[in-house]
Amino acid sequence: MSDFIEPYVEYGREWLPLLLRAMATTALLSVSAFALSLVFGLLLALCRNARSRALRHFATLYVSVVRGVPLLAILFLLYFGLPGIGITFDAFTGAVLGLALAFAAQVAELFRAGLMAIPKGQREAAFAVGFTPAQSFTLIVLPQVVRVIVAPLIVTFVSLLKDSSLASLITVNELVLTGRAMATEYFLPLQIYLAVGLCYFLIAWPFSLLSRRLVPAAG
Amino acid sequence: MMTGLSTFITVLDGLLAGVGVTVLVTLASLTLGVILGFGLALLRQFGGLRAIHFLIDAYCEVMRNIPALTHLFILYFGLASIGFRLSAITAAILGLGLIGGAVTCDLFRSGFAALPNGQREAALAVGFTPLQAIFAILTPQALRIALPSLGNYTVQLLKDTSIVSAIAAPEIMFYARSMVTSSFQTTLIYATVAGLYLLLGLPLTQAIRFLESHYGRLKA
Repeated sequence: MSDFIEPYVEYGREWLPLLLRAMATTALLSVSAFALSLVFGLLLALCRNARSRALRHFATLYVSVVRGVPLLAILFLLYFGLPGIGITFDAFTGAVLGLALAFAAQVAELFRAGLMAIPKGQREAAFAVGFTPAQSFTLIVLPQVVRVIVAPLIVTFVSLLKDSSLASLITVNELVLTGRAMATEYFLPLQIYLAVGLCYFLIAWPFSLLSRRLVPAAG
Repeated sequence: MMTGLSTFITVLDGLLAGVGVTVLVTLASLTLGVILGFGLALLRQFGGLRAIHFLIDAYCEVMRNIPALTHLFILYFGLASIGFRLSAITAAILGLGLIGGAVTCDLFRSGFAALPNGQREAALAVGFTPLQAIFAILTPQALRIALPSLGNYTVQLLKDTSIVSAIAAPEIMFYARSMVTSSFQTTLIYATVAGLYLLLGLPLTQAIRFLESHYGRLKA
């Protein structure tokens, strides 16, 4: 057992700054991708309710295709595949875009469910008191939708945070890739990957707790 | 055009070599996950000991707040460094199965939690033992409620098996990645991978829809 603990005492000082920097990258990656997926997701949900048939079909197709394809395939296509036809990203941008495109499908489903939960009368009442369609959506409908779906949105964020680990496979220097580099340098994979796991847990767990606390309030 | 088609066929042929392992890992980790999750849910829901409740909750939190990739690296590289060498496929099944146990435990628990208390009380009143009440009365109803979310979990699991290529388990994505390094048909290869997973997911979605319509929650 002391063999197991010893490396943490011996190398803790060297590991901590490396892991903290990697945690910051993971957090930045996840937050940027989540913000972008909220935008894409909302647009998709609006497309699904749009009057234009083409838009509705596009959104339905997008959601069902993206939900059936592994995130890793999407990331590899964006980062390794698109340069073949002349479009290149740096790894971080590729990862943000890939995560956002993949999670937009899930977010869109949440927004759609949320939109259905708001009674039609809310919109009609907003029109009746003189709001424009855009105003009634952004000021009356959307805030209520967000309140209904905030807990599942946080759950989605936790999934995204965990899936951001796949960005290591397209060379983004986040927690897992940093862990791999450290594991080859120090030859202590068990201790290092456990520390990496703890880093994820420290970021994800508060959000998991928060999502559960918010559930009764939304219902 | 002909050469395009023949490259596609070569690519597809190369990827098909991994389908068996992808299906194996999906089904094996699904089985492990569902059995473990069901056992944990029963213990958590009906077991008396506080300490056990705490342990199960801790297990679920740890499994669900850490990425699968990290769990796989701990099992595959971490354990090997202290002498427990697992094969890549074993580590993949074990890793995804242990995570699945935590995920499905929650799904089964919310199934049990959705049942009115009267079901258990009525079963006890007509002379069922507590165990009989759980297995003959509560479990079938809880399973029905949990079925749709179990279906979603299974579809997710099929996609998640692609990450076990990172510990070199020879499934679809593994063959894709090794093909990319030898040929330069990157876009074609990963697009075919995407199509292949979609295709594999179809019978799964159909099977789930069938199960749901036949055994799913009966409308009152």
